[in-house]
Amino acid sequence: MADMQVDVAIIGAGPAGVAAGIGAREAGAKDVLVLERDWDLGGILQQCIHPGFGLHTFKEELTGPEYMHRWVVRAREAGVTFLTNSMVFKLDEDGSLWVMNPERGVFKVTAKATVLAMGCRERPLGAINVPGSRPAGIFTAGTAQRFVNMEGYMPGHRTVVLGSGDIGLIMARRLVWEGARVEGVFELMPWAGGLRRNIAQCLNDYDIPFYLSHTVTRVHGKDRLEGVSVAEVDENRQVLDGTERFIGCDCLLLAVGLIPENELSRMAGVEIHPVTGGPVLNEFYQTSRPSIFAAGNVVIVYDLADWVSQEGVAAGRNAALYAAGALKEPLRRIDIRGGANVRLFSPQYVTAGEDVTVYFRVLRPIEKRCRVFADRGLFERKHRYVRPGEMNEIRLKAEALQALPRSVTTITIDAEEV
Amino acid sequence: MSDKTFDIVIVGAGIIGATLARELSAYALRVAVIDKASDIPSGASRANSAMIHAGYDDQPGTIKADFCPIGNRLYHELAGPLDFTLKECGSYVCGFDDDDRKHLEKLLQQGRANGVPGLEIVNGEALRRREPYASAEITHALWAPTGAIVNNFEAVLAFMDNAQQNGVELFLETTMEELLLSPDRGEVVGIATNRGRFFAPVVVNAAGVNSDLIARMAGDESFFIRPTRGEYYITDKHVGHLVKSFFFACPTPKGKGITVAPTAENNLLLGPTSTVQASRDDTSTTGPGLAEVIDGARRLVPSIPLNMAITAFSGVRANPDTKDFIVNVLDRPTGFVNAGGIKSPGFTSAPAIARHLVELMEDRFSRRISFIPDPAFVPERKHIPRFEQLPLEEKRRLAEADRRYAQIVCRCEMVTEGQVVEAIARGARTVAGVKIWTRAGAGRCQGGFCGPRVVEILARELGVPCEEITRHGGHSRYLVGKTKDYWFRGEK
Ligand SMILES: Cc1cc2nc3c(=O)[nH]c(=O)nc-3n(C[C@H](O)[C@H](O)[C@H](O)COP(=O)(O)OP(=O)(O)OC[C@H]3O[C@@H](n4cnc5c(N)ncnc54)[C@H](O)[C@@H]3O)c2cc1C
Ligand SMILES: Cc1cc2nc3c(=O)[nH]c(=O)nc-3n(C[C@H](O)[C@H](O)[C@H](O)COP(=O)(O)OP(=O)(O)OC[C@H]3O[C@@H](n4cnc5c(N)ncnc54)[C@H](O)[C@@H]3O)c2cc1C
Repeated sequence: MADMQVDVAIIGAGPAGVAAGIGAREAGAKDVLVLERDWDLGGILQQCIHPGFGLHTFKEELTGPEYMHRWVVRAREAGVTFLTNSMVFKLDEDGSLWVMNPERGVFKVTAKATVLAMGCRERPLGAINVPGSRPAGIFTAGTAQRFVNMEGYMPGHRTVVLGSGDIGLIMARRLVWEGARVEGVFELMPWAGGLRRNIAQCLNDYDIPFYLSHTVTRVHGKDRLEGVSVAEVDENRQVLDGTERFIGCDCLLLAVGLIPENELSRMAGVEIHPVTGGPVLNEFYQTSRPSIFAAGNVVIVYDLADWVSQEGVAAGRNAALYAAGALKEPLRRIDIRGGANVRLFSPQYVTAGEDVTVYFRVLRPIEKRCRVFADRGLFERKHRYVRPGEMNEIRLKAEALQALPRSVTTITIDAEEV
Repeated sequence: MSDKTFDIVIVGAGIIGATLARELSAYALRVAVIDKASDIPSGASRANSAMIHAGYDDQPGTIKADFCPIGNRLYHELAGPLDFTLKECGSYVCGFDDDDRKHLEKLLQQGRANGVPGLEIVNGEALRRREPYASAEITHALWAPTGAIVNNFEAVLAFMDNAQQNGVELFLETTMEELLLSPDRGEVVGIATNRGRFFAPVVVNAAGVNSDLIARMAGDESFFIRPTRGEYYITDKHVGHLVKSFFFACPTPKGKGITVAPTAENNLLLGPTSTVQASRDDTSTTGPGLAEVIDGARRLVPSIPLNMAITAFSGVRANPDTKDFIVNVLDRPTGFVNAGGIKSPGFTSAPAIARHLVELMEDRFSRRISFIPDPAFVPERKHIPRFEQLPLEEKRRLAEADRRYAQIVCRCEMVTEGQVVEAIARGARTVAGVKIWTRAGAGRCQGGFCGPRVVEILARELGVPCEEITRHGGHSRYLVGKTKDYWFRGEK
């Protein structure tokens, strides 16, 4: 296969990548190529066959595949080129990339600008240190979702879900629909990891027990999973003596966290933030390598695909501007700092060039009136609550940032009771 | 299940069975290797530190001290022709005080007596110049340049693969249940298994943690095995740069202690613990065990982060009460060979033990079987291409020649469909088997991404439904059925 040259190359055809393609074309880039390693477009949303997508973008409730279908149609109309079955396996510092594709072999794509849109992956059992044996029947919730929704296979008859991330909640309900039993969802923290609406619609509506401050302490079974030990934990997440009990099950689903997928970014020498696990960005979605941009779950794990699409359009637009030599020069650098109740946020700094939304998650829930704010009067909004499972937004105006005295080099964001 | 006839039957396809099979395959002999597992390696050879020890650890005069340095040299010689990964990383034994220093001196003397080349004691500063992440508390270290790391999966497969190419037959999921003897019980005539009888005038006991039980069948009660578990963590490759060499601490009364080592693929290996247990096959990990691993590892390399583990596992050592390897030929019944109780450094010693066993057998069994060199013996073989490690141009060429090498299966370890298909052609039958051959599923997502794809390829290549594919043989079915069938059958 001959090597290719394009204006903007985009890695990944999930919501972020597809939208980035549109953004890049709309900003005037001629050749915009999206590379996707799966055989079909849509990213994770291919397997999210439940409704709940599109309320922001299309003002109606769609399933994941329906939502992505609309975006892909738009992208095709906008003149974006897609290559599926195309795994990017190497990213050079200048943003050129190496691809493998079973029809075309191994080839190189040179791009004036590149957008990272590789999404995230799920944390496996080994990463959370649950002792015991390693039998068959342990799956991450997303892998099980792919098996059930796309390939048509059942991961088990009796299931325990560890972790209350959204995918785990959705899969608990899905397995009940398929006729399996779900013994319960166990969450280490004293609050839910996923959205409140998913607790109600996926667990409560189906009488699936939900245990906060609980964890799986041991895996049993040699060939196929035979059961797990579960126990209650104290506020320091230490197991409380005497609370351990055995639950028979042949399937354990893990919904214990998502990690931005940044192997390629690291290869290219892109600076990775130690807390988010994604690239350090400015308001242009630009990484520490100027020709490399990033959007979506590869940066920070979002709750809603609609937001990811929005970010994708903007990242694609900026990549196209960069490719044309037309991206604004930075005026100054203002670092964003998380306050006492901030777990993670993105972007990490702004240059006062463009209005920007800072997305962040809190460490601890506040279940009463509170305010989400950026200091120096840059932003404030009152909320009825903030929760770790639900992302917050802070909108900063470029004008207001420009008006800050030159001596200001950081601004702090936080959420607190009022 | 028909009976079969061979010249030699080896019970156990660990590193001992594999290296012996390969040595024997150079002769015109009919050799069978049986193993109860679905994939090899499965016993201690699967779950160990994969260190090719230099040979300073063992007291002169023991069998271990004789075999270990020779085994070390043989691995260096054979890594090329048998195409398994060996990393010449060297090793340090680290001391933290004066007592440790004395111990290092003793090891140095012992190593010299055993013929280990290049040993030297360096001080803490010199160590940290080469290994900047080593603990500031380390005052001295014994440097052994010939200490090396292998990919232990690849090594066992390499010896066995080469043996099979040269005519040895491997029977998996085959358990030895009984030793067959002549009516006067004076001679070995074969073994009985769950898959029929294997007649042979020579039977080799290479059954690892079960080797004492097999020896009992021959009336040999000279040793018994005390199964001793060792637990480990594997970390993400992101922290693989923290050490270049293999790090031991001076032994405490509790044992050789926790080590920190690079793996052949640049992860870190932390462990093992040492806990005597009743079970011979329980390879679970425990909370206290894994906590001990972290503490011990951080004593050597304090900056190892806690959240970088990708998996934990444990292996069971076949520690014999006699403390030394049991490598001998029984006087009665004639035809019974022991290669049991092969504890650490058994992996290292295996090729040397295998050569020794062949000499022993030639010497003792010349009237039972004839050791005629096989002129057709091919002493080398090739592993499945390691796509990730190939230079770009070779990746291109391989993908051009066979497009399945351009289809990704495992994203973390960059394993292609071509490799998975080749692994199945060479004998992989389970998801674990594919992992052992190719590393698909051995990376940071632990099979989350490639699991469904590997199941599909296995089912396609073996011509069975996906539901029949197992994780690691036995009852370890990966999936429990199709979604809609499941509903109709109403299995609850
Ligand atoms: C299992 C799972 C279930 C989810 N369920 C929901 C839900 O129900 N509702 C909701 O609102 N949000 C859900 N989310 C979150 C939602 O998916 C994200 O908000 C959104 O999909 C993120 O879009 P993305 O484009 O960043 O990533 P993805 O959708 O993950 O897309 C990334 C794409 O990049 C491709 N890719 C990665 N690496 C390479 C490479 N090297 N070469 C080529 N291509 C590559 C991948 O194959 C993938 O198609 C879920 C997330 C996960 C992981
Ligand atoms: C935690 C740990 C760390 C170690 N670290 C090192 C190291 O760093 N360096 C080193 O040199 N050595 C090390 N060792 C020692 C080394 O792993 C062993 O000495 C070596 O693997 C033993 O090989 P084997 O072939 O004798 O046994 P195994 O690999 O256990 O093989 C025995 C085989 O016999 C089969 N079997 C048993 N019973 C039957 C039966 N009835 N019928 C059919 N098949 C049967 C089993 O399935 C198994 O496959 C370590 C060991 C452990 C456990």
